[in-house]
Amino acid sequence: MTLVDATVVAGYTVGDFLLLAAAGFVVLAIGMLYRAVKGPTMQDRVLAVNVLGTNTVVILAILAAALSEPTFLDIALVYALLNFLMAIAISKFTVERGGVL
Amino acid sequence: MTGTSLLAAAAGNLLPTVTPAAPVPAQVTAVEGSLLAFVVLTALATALARDVLAAVIVFGAYSLGMAALYTFYRAPDVALTEAAISAGVTTVLLLLTLAKTTRIDHDVAFESVNVPAVGAVGLLFGGLLLTMGDVPAVGSPDAPVWSNPDVTQWYLSESYAQTGVDNTVMAVLAAFRGFDTFGEAVVVFAGGIAALIVLHREVFA
Repeated sequence: MTLVDATVVAGYTVGDFLLLAAAGFVVLAIGMLYRAVKGPTMQDRVLAVNVLGTNTVVILAILAAALSEPTFLDIALVYALLNFLMAIAISKFTVERGGVL
Repeated sequence: MTGTSLLAAAAGNLLPTVTPAAPVPAQVTAVEGSLLAFVVLTALATALARDVLAAVIVFGAYSLGMAALYTFYRAPDVALTEAAISAGVTTVLLLLTLAKTTRIDHDVAFESVNVPAVGAVGLLFGGLLLTMGDVPAVGSPDAPVWSNPDVTQWYLSESYAQTGVDNTVMAVLAAFRGFDTFGEAVVVFAGGIAALIVLHREVFA
């Protein structure tokens, strides 16, 4: 019996609360989506997607803990790297047109 | 998508084979529901955004949601592929295309919706939704795709004995259908060569 399976209150385990926390983060992501869609400037959108990416890394890490699958952390790491790449690529595109890479 | 399945093969080598999960209990649907809402909202915003750059950026957010959803359904190799291809490569490719062409500034933020087209798609969607009742539950051991003794179970029991590869996905991709994967690699290589010719370049740099 691991920590994730330990009962906290009324039969709900730590894993259940982690999943609930992940759902909360996804709801926050929907809130962040407003800025990515509305803008109005590209800088707003880049920042919004960057925050969304960081949020996704957190969600993936929580899912890895809640589902007891440590290998899921690899995906979180890949996303942390790609998130940076995406922000750099879009920022460079908006500053100097033609220079993406 | 040849490139995607090649990358899935590479990812499958890194990660252990995922055994089908137990049927998803009811209390975890909060994550599922919120992720699905996020994915649908980003997809709608991508389709309706008038500005191309905004659509590219929101599409990046869409792939973030999809990767989390794949992870939740315990398909880490697909999630890794989604992360690498959709968030990384596709975004950069679309931005490169935008940089080589022009981007028109628009006054309105959203595309106007074609009502008859939405109606037709809605009817099709409703028709497809009617078939959902016959789909087996996620991770159900009775699902035909899993319990089939002639295909799935045969590969699961025989792939190690016949190929010596631990991961069944890897064994199928690289051994049982190795020529097919080789053909995919040839197609990707030919695509790269074609891109170099179009760009008047000698090397990938």
